[in-house]
Amino acid sequence: MKNWVKIIIICLIGIAITALTRIDSAIYSDPIVQVTSVKTNYQSTETDEYKNVAKIYNQTITGKFLNTKDKGKTINLTNQYDSSLLMTQKYRVGQQLVVKKNSSEYSIYSQKRDTVVVGLISLVVLILFLMKYDRIRLFLSIVLNLIVFVIFMYIIINVPKSILLISAIITALLVTIISLVVILGPSFNALVAFLSTTISTTLAILLSVFLMYLSNNQNIHLEYSDYGLQPYFMVFISGVIFSVLGVIMDETMDITASLIEIKQEVPDVQDGKLFKSGMNIGRELVGPLINILLFIVVAEHLNIVFLYLSNGNSINYTIDMTLTLGIAQLLISSIGILITVPITSFIATKIINRGIAK
Amino acid sequence: MSYLFIAFILLSIVVMGKRSLTFLFGLGINVVLILVLVIMIADGFDPIITTVVISIFVLVIAIYLNVENYDTANTAFKTSLIIMLLILGITFLVQHYANFQGMWIENQEELEGFSLQLGISFPEIAIAIIVINSLGVISETSVAISSGLNEIIDNKPDLTDSEIFNDGFSVGNKILITQINTMLLNFFASTFTLIYLMHSLKFTNSEFINDKLLVAEILTTLVCIIGVIFTVPITSYFTVNNHKKRA
Repeated sequence: MKNWVKIIIICLIGIAITALTRIDSAIYSDPIVQVTSVKTNYQSTETDEYKNVAKIYNQTITGKFLNTKDKGKTINLTNQYDSSLLMTQKYRVGQQLVVKKNSSEYSIYSQKRDTVVVGLISLVVLILFLMKYDRIRLFLSIVLNLIVFVIFMYIIINVPKSILLISAIITALLVTIISLVVILGPSFNALVAFLSTTISTTLAILLSVFLMYLSNNQNIHLEYSDYGLQPYFMVFISGVIFSVLGVIMDETMDITASLIEIKQEVPDVQDGKLFKSGMNIGRELVGPLINILLFIVVAEHLNIVFLYLSNGNSINYTIDMTLTLGIAQLLISSIGILITVPITSFIATKIINRGIAK
Repeated sequence: MSYLFIAFILLSIVVMGKRSLTFLFGLGINVVLILVLVIMIADGFDPIITTVVISIFVLVIAIYLNVENYDTANTAFKTSLIIMLLILGITFLVQHYANFQGMWIENQEELEGFSLQLGISFPEIAIAIIVINSLGVISETSVAISSGLNEIIDNKPDLTDSEIFNDGFSVGNKILITQINTMLLNFFASTFTLIYLMHSLKFTNSEFINDKLLVAEILTTLVCIIGVIFTVPITSYFTVNNHKKRA
């Protein structure tokens, strides 16, 4: 019974917080407008030189100001969108919009999206409470890691760029410690997993940087990295470290846990045999873990890939311009995931057979 | 780049040993499937139907190529199919309300000189992107949980249904935290440059919180987390069913 009360309360809190985002316009400095009516008119069908056929529509939007000194006043806005909606937006009744005043005219800047974000977060929390997961650890790990990330963002925004890579490495170390301690507890496992994770990641990055240096960064267009944060190389390496770290932690934890289990079952197991077991367990993990990153990295670049392809570029040119960085990132990550297997097996074997024997 | 590739192949052979052929073959097929997906969508096939079909192929290969135990593989495959459809459904809803498709002013520099009124529907691409993003995570999670559960049942065949569910969650706990960690770290990797740029473009708080690209990244992470969370009960359900059939 008590459980039901808890779930209903969480449900109500979730709905309440989500509903609050519909009336939170007071916290925004920009004017927010709620759309009350929309008239959409077809304007024309346009075909570009690459045979893209797009329909163009005009919208006449009436809305009501929700904040600022114009609160309650009605406003008329116009919007144009095309059927691909790549850089344009289509608006509907009920949506709230962020608007901007340019000279004397108001124009639509963007849709207000916080309701969906907060709603989905509430849904995730609710689902977690409906199931028998260990929520405290989960929330602890998410919140602590987010705090570290926010501090990292604060530092790279406010301190000269030269310390980007160092900040990223410190962030990565903190995230590793937090995650491992939260998941495994302050234990022997966590220590072994920490050593293996940091050594494997470091070696993979150093090896890859050396190989890229040998080939003079040929074919890797670092300057195409997203959003122009500099220095490009440091940005690229920081991104790679973040992206691969979770997967490598996953791997080292699995190998370490299995080896410790074997040691407990067979206390006098030989180094060689333990190492071999580690290799066997690790080999099973490599494929699926590389897959995880493969799909995440590809998905991230699909918008720009389709932009290039639809603009009459060949598939080769498109890959060269949009995916080389992603491919380099995947290769470095894969190298990391691969060398983690022998490194973790070795470290775990040495430490387990010495550490527990004592 | 070629050095990186050579190093990757050499390491695969050294580390994977006898399994290196299967491993490289599996990865190669996935790369081919991704290329087929991209070419088909660019040629005008429906993005969502294409994505679902290709995703099924990806899951079949990821699961049946890596898992030897037939029961485990079947359970994992059924679960991952359901999770993929669940993710597709949630993404439909979320995209309908948040309209986070395509690109935004942060991409302006990349967009120079391009025709932006295209024949492809980017809202559909946005849905496809989240489904593709989740494929590796879904297949790994479902395999990990179903093999963990099957191992437990093989050791203790007389477990009751509710005990199997409980074991599912205790196996699932560690997997859930590690997968969420992986996704969170990838969220960091893909947003730190974006947030930096938003700061240099002097975004106001409303522009920041409601930003199309940032919201897209947050929602992608959340939807994938929902997928991972549901993997445990669904796997447990199939495992219980199998268990009953055998008993």
